[in-house]
Amino acid sequence: MSNATLKVNGKEYRLSFSPHQTLLHVLREELGLVGAREGCGIGICGSCTVLVDGRTISSCLMLAVQAAGHDITTVEGLADDEKLHRVQRAFIDHFGFQCGYCTPGFILSTVALLANHTNPSAEEIREYLSGNLCRCGSYPNILKAVMSLSDSEV
Amino acid sequence: MRFLQPGTLEEAISTRVDNPEQSVIIAGGTAVVLMLQHGLIAPEVLISLEKIPGLDSIRIEDNRLHIGALAKLGDVADSRLVRQYFPALFAACAAVGNVRVRNQATLGGNLAEADYASDPPAALMMLDALVEVKGISGTRQISLPDLLLGFLTTTLEPDELITGVIIPIPTEQPRMAYLRYNNRSSEDRPCVGIAASATFNDAICTGLRLTVGAACEIPTRLSEIEALAVGSPLTDTRIHEIAEGYAAGIETIDDLQSSAWYRTQMIRVHIQRVLKGLRDG
Ligand SMILES: Cc1cc2nc3c(=O)[nH]c(=O)nc-3n(C[C@H](O)[C@H](O)[C@H](O)COP(=O)(O)OP(=O)(O)OC[C@H]3O[C@@H](n4cnc5c(N)ncnc54)[C@H](O)[C@@H]3O)c2cc1C
Ligand code: FES
Ligand code: FES
Repeated sequence: MSNATLKVNGKEYRLSFSPHQTLLHVLREELGLVGAREGCGIGICGSCTVLVDGRTISSCLMLAVQAAGHDITTVEGLADDEKLHRVQRAFIDHFGFQCGYCTPGFILSTVALLANHTNPSAEEIREYLSGNLCRCGSYPNILKAVMSLSDSEV
Repeated sequence: MRFLQPGTLEEAISTRVDNPEQSVIIAGGTAVVLMLQHGLIAPEVLISLEKIPGLDSIRIEDNRLHIGALAKLGDVADSRLVRQYFPALFAACAAVGNVRVRNQATLGGNLAEADYASDPPAALMMLDALVEVKGISGTRQISLPDLLLGFLTTTLEPDELITGVIIPIPTEQPRMAYLRYNNRSSEDRPCVGIAASATFNDAICTGLRLTVGAACEIPTRLSEIEALAVGSPLTDTRIHEIAEGYAAGIETIDDLQSSAWYRTQMIRVHIQRVLKGLRDG
């Protein structure tokens, strides 16, 4: 077992877990943060996306011990008390989901995209989000949601 | 399993020497974590390189671009220096997987993994990059053909780490491209990857470098065929001849993604596309 401190959504957690465990596993099973989900388990689908120091990674491909000492953000950390993050709001306003399985991953990827490009074009959004898969095929509405947040929309 | 984070290269190397059989190096972890999850490796010690300072820098020194082994593929692709001098390396790194993989995977890990279905190695070989390797007996710089031995194997000794990649900056900026072909879906690994650079004097081609990766065990460059381009305009006929030369000269891989025959056809097609693109500027 390793003892490590994980900083998740601004809070520090002193945890003990096997160094084999992925960040995805520890977030879900130790911390009860179930926004990150396992789809493929091999880095392709993006349903396990979290931010590490503001950058998206697949939490199924990173060991929890690797994430110690870094700032981890999950979808649970986006809302400010009752007030949803503007990306969450936009996904609701544009119905950017059906079953919602992929949604936390898409939302965190969008947060990371907008942090670096305040006005991505539709093309840039498609390219950036191409690593997140939606089995329900909500892509057109997801694109609308993200476009609504891009300055380039006007 | 223990997870160690040495703070210096020397410490990482001596930890490796102390546990040659039972330890595995981990850089970004995109390959190592999958192997652990699938039970393909069961090391007693994981040696993380993450805490070694300076190993992720990208800088110019003595007219050569130095990229640290721990530089993330996404940072290589975003680097202003890489984009300015080596657009083929930019394109190869930007083509890898998805944003998340590029945020985590390192250039050193990509080379050490030696998986043929990769993008950066072909671009690096085309650019005459040297790989800097450090072990107990010191540092050596080797070319890509001297590093890559074959399927998932390199010439790295158990005590050796890749510390970085060094690429000479050409005196005259050539035209460059990396073209990746995926035969199934976009998130797949490449079926064929072609890295090329060419210089021209008016329409006359004065130099060509052409490397084919992902289709064969080790990226391949055929200098006799490259030489066919030099001294005359790159006509369609000449380009066809070069593409045929590569198609005939490369032993392609048969795997679940595509047959060897198909890869040969795709080499032929994509070399022509790349070269016409370079010629037409
Ligand atoms: C979903 C997915 C999609 C992908 N798509 C592509 C693609 O399209 N194109 C492509 O080229 N690649 C692709 N890859 C592969 C990816 O590029 C490699 O897994 C990655 O570059 C390995 O780097 P890493 O830092 O994560 O290595 P790690 O997983 O940390 O290590 C990989 C191997 O290298 C060794 N190692 C690492 N660093 C060093 C070092 N400095 N010195 C010596 N040994 C070292 C480790 O011991 C291990 O054996 C994909 C991977 C995934 C998961
Ligand atoms: S579960 Fe991690 S990318 Fe699919
Ligand atoms: S909304 Fe169902 S997978 Fe995307």
